[in-house]
Amino acid sequence: MATAPPLPIVQGTLDLLILSVLAPGPMHGYGVATAVHQRTEGDLAIPDAALYQALHRLERQDLVDAEWAASDNNRRARYYTLTRAGRARLRAETANWRRYARAVEAVLAGA
Amino acid sequence: MRDSPRRRPFWYLQRGPDRVAAEIDEELRGHLEMRAAELRARGLSADAAMREAVRQFGDLDETRQYCREQDEQLEARVRRSLIVEELLHDLRISLRGLLRAPVMTVAIVATVGLGIGATTVIFGAIDAALLRPLPYAEPRSLVRIYTDSAPNRFPFSVADYLALTAQQTQFAQIAAYASRPMVFSDGTIAERLRARSVSWNYFDALGIHLAAGRGFEEADARRGAAPAAIVSDNFWQQRLGGRPDALGATIRLDGVGHTVVGILPRATGPLEATQDVFVAAHWDPPPRKGPFFLTVVGRLRSGAARSAAAEELRAINRRIFPIWKASYQDDRATWSMIDLDAFIVGDVGTIAGLALTAVVLVWLIACGNASSLLIARVTSRRRELAVRAALGASRTRVVRYLLAESVLLAIGASAVGVAIAAAGIDLVRSVGAGYFPRSAEIALDGPVLWVLAALTAASALLFGLVPAVHGSGGPVEEALRSSGRGSTGGVAARRLRRALVAAQFAIATPLLIVAGLLLVSLNELSGVDLGFDTRNLLSGSIQLPMTQYADAGQQATFWSELQRRTVALPGVAGAALADSRPPADVNNYNNFDLEDFPAASGQSQPVTPWIAVTPEYFGVFGLTLLEGRLLEERDATRTDLQPIVVDRAWARRFFPNGGAVGKRLRSGGCTTCPWTVVVGVVSDVKYAGLDKPDKGSVYQPLAPQAMSRFLIVRTRADAARVLPLVRQTIHELDAGVPLSAAATMEELIDQSLQRPRSLSVLVGAFAAVALILSLVGIYGVMAYYVQQHAKDISIRLALGGRRRDVLQLIVGQGMRVVSIGVAVGLLTAVATTRLIATLLFGVNAADTRIFAAVSVVLMTVALLACLLPAQRATRAQPAAVLREE
Repeated sequence: MATAPPLPIVQGTLDLLILSVLAPGPMHGYGVATAVHQRTEGDLAIPDAALYQALHRLERQDLVDAEWAASDNNRRARYYTLTRAGRARLRAETANWRRYARAVEAVLAGA
Repeated sequence: MRDSPRRRPFWYLQRGPDRVAAEIDEELRGHLEMRAAELRARGLSADAAMREAVRQFGDLDETRQYCREQDEQLEARVRRSLIVEELLHDLRISLRGLLRAPVMTVAIVATVGLGIGATTVIFGAIDAALLRPLPYAEPRSLVRIYTDSAPNRFPFSVADYLALTAQQTQFAQIAAYASRPMVFSDGTIAERLRARSVSWNYFDALGIHLAAGRGFEEADARRGAAPAAIVSDNFWQQRLGGRPDALGATIRLDGVGHTVVGILPRATGPLEATQDVFVAAHWDPPPRKGPFFLTVVGRLRSGAARSAAAEELRAINRRIFPIWKASYQDDRATWSMIDLDAFIVGDVGTIAGLALTAVVLVWLIACGNASSLLIARVTSRRRELAVRAALGASRTRVVRYLLAESVLLAIGASAVGVAIAAAGIDLVRSVGAGYFPRSAEIALDGPVLWVLAALTAASALLFGLVPAVHGSGGPVEEALRSSGRGSTGGVAARRLRRALVAAQFAIATPLLIVAGLLLVSLNELSGVDLGFDTRNLLSGSIQLPMTQYADAGQQATFWSELQRRTVALPGVAGAALADSRPPADVNNYNNFDLEDFPAASGQSQPVTPWIAVTPEYFGVFGLTLLEGRLLEERDATRTDLQPIVVDRAWARRFFPNGGAVGKRLRSGGCTTCPWTVVVGVVSDVKYAGLDKPDKGSVYQPLAPQAMSRFLIVRTRADAARVLPLVRQTIHELDAGVPLSAAATMEELIDQSLQRPRSLSVLVGAFAAVALILSLVGIYGVMAYYVQQHAKDISIRLALGGRRRDVLQLIVGQGMRVVSIGVAVGLLTAVATTRLIATLLFGVNAADTRIFAAVSVVLMTVALLACLLPAQRATRAQPAAVLREE
């Protein structure tokens, strides 16, 4: 468990995070929040409100699809899956982010 | 694009706004509970865990609101795309279904297509004749100006025209034209042209743009001006080879070289449509008021009130009346005007209304028939539809599915309709000139296409909606349980189909009655006694070219030589010359004042056909002399008096007590001319048309000189075989003189029957279609009825019921429906047939024989249509039928 408070999410990376967490397979909203938290060891935490708003927006944009299904503990939950368009977007955004991160790194390295 | 689990099956229930909100709430609650569970696992109390979960979440309300908006947008979009997908799906399924019932499909497509096509054609004709603005500049300001002597409208005289142009202030332009037959010759052929002399401003006044060259100018109308002509596109193509250098070329009209200064466009206005050539007229101030031969067209000054213009016309007429008192006494006649389009349309209203009604009714019957067939189809598919409904398809969804079939059928029908309309419009354009004004302008465009589209849409709704609403109604479970028969839906369907069949008969009955009335009229017309032997009689019109025959002596020589040579031809029994011929070519109507019974001052004088003939005329036609003597050769040159021979109808009309011979009268309003004296009475001949009552005719001696004559030849054998000899004779006499409108009397009678004949053929054909469709309708209903009741029928027969009773029962069912329809149809006919009274001849619009005959025929064939399925049902082996169920 991280002791430092989580970092604020950089503008524009919220969609990328969600899409990438959904890449392996269907997952419900709570699962997405947990996954982000765990993978970053608590450095990043998506606010719940923002997460759900983003999920529904992505659904409207046809980047994810939603379906009700039973969760692990036999609770009905809304599972989100990447659509083909969502995967394409994820690839593009990932590449963009990497370029961005490299560029920022390069600038910082020169300092 | 996307792999889509969102491609839901058609019965998938769509998420409404409530459902969307509920799902979001459930999702968010789920999240909070999972979070709370996690917190509880870390040791918080249940209450505290939930409070903490909510706190961590953030703004719950805003999120809910935001998600709801996103979801509803998504739903709306999905719904839209689903509709399209479903529609295509429906159409695919429907097409397959229809192809499995090819007879029904073809029947519906063909009959409704016929209705759509025929209605479109007739509407096209009406559109061209009545609705389309005239193809002239600002047609609304154009009027025809005429002498109004109700009920007659007379043309203007030169005196009238000159007075009008000089005194009027309300018109921007006044133009006039008169028909003036001219002979065209190019050295090898001579041809009589349909030519007009027009006031020089004619083309300008109507706003006609020539295809080439110029219109007439004031200089063209001056006496002594170089003769100029404007030719039609048709004449240019046919006679001048369509060459551009025809402009400026010289053509010989009436033997005089005319310079072609202009060529009309191919599409002309109705006034120019049948003309070959136009020349500029020079009308000099006349010594007397008549003759009246000018058609006058005026263009109202912009802003001029019609009432003011009409008042001015009356005022000018009043002003000039005293000037011409010596030659014109009719002080009741006044000047009036009528919109030019109304003048051109004439009295086509009745025929147009009848034709349109006939085709629309056939279309309605076809739709009714289609509806009836589709109801039967739906009834037998109630279970299938109920299954769909049970699977969650909404009522509108099922209606839409059924409408898809109708839409497909309507599309098919409109394809057939377009084909029929295209063919029909070609037909009407070529042969319709005698029926509809401006038939050359009929086209499948603009409003006509809209009507076609509207008819297609209306067809789909008419024959589709009833079965669709019907098929989707009724409780699902009941439809599933019952096998169709006896269910409430079955009964309603049966009632509906019967109502439709009754309506079909109600429509077919008046159509058949009208067809019957027209056929009887046609029969009466063709049986009209013209008053002479119509066999072996040949006639034709001969026109002398004006310049070569300027001399009266030359004219007289030509005519007497023509008559002499014609009589000498082999196979010719006699020949005569006249200025008119039966059954419908009267050259001259004359007014006259009897010495014994003068017309009261201000009263119109009687008018009758005034036929100028050579003395041989009576012999050629074989007329019987009843009183007095026939005309003689010397009568033509008498100056002390003008001898005339009248026919029996004339003598009876004016001298019912006999003694017409020797009576004197003043003819043509001339008070100073010598007396006209009746010298003989002969048997009647029809001159004014087969359908006109015979009000008497007058024969006067034919003047020895004239520019135009009918040559009438009595032959010993087939008249058509003598025609080439006559043509040859004229050609030998003068190759520059044309013979036109040559025909045997049988052909002339046939021509004058053409219009009533094609009208009765048109209406008769549609009545026949209506009859057949109605029979198909009642047959279908009865066949279905006996099929549904096969079991009952068999039980009755098996229990010893008499076959006759059962037959009667079944047939009675059908005939009740038919009788109601026929009764309603008869009432409709009684109320409406008088609307076509003007189209009838020799038969009353309410003729009981025809009403009775049509009813009997209808009931008889309907009885047969009912009997066929009934007999089949009673012949079946009861045991076999009962086993089947």
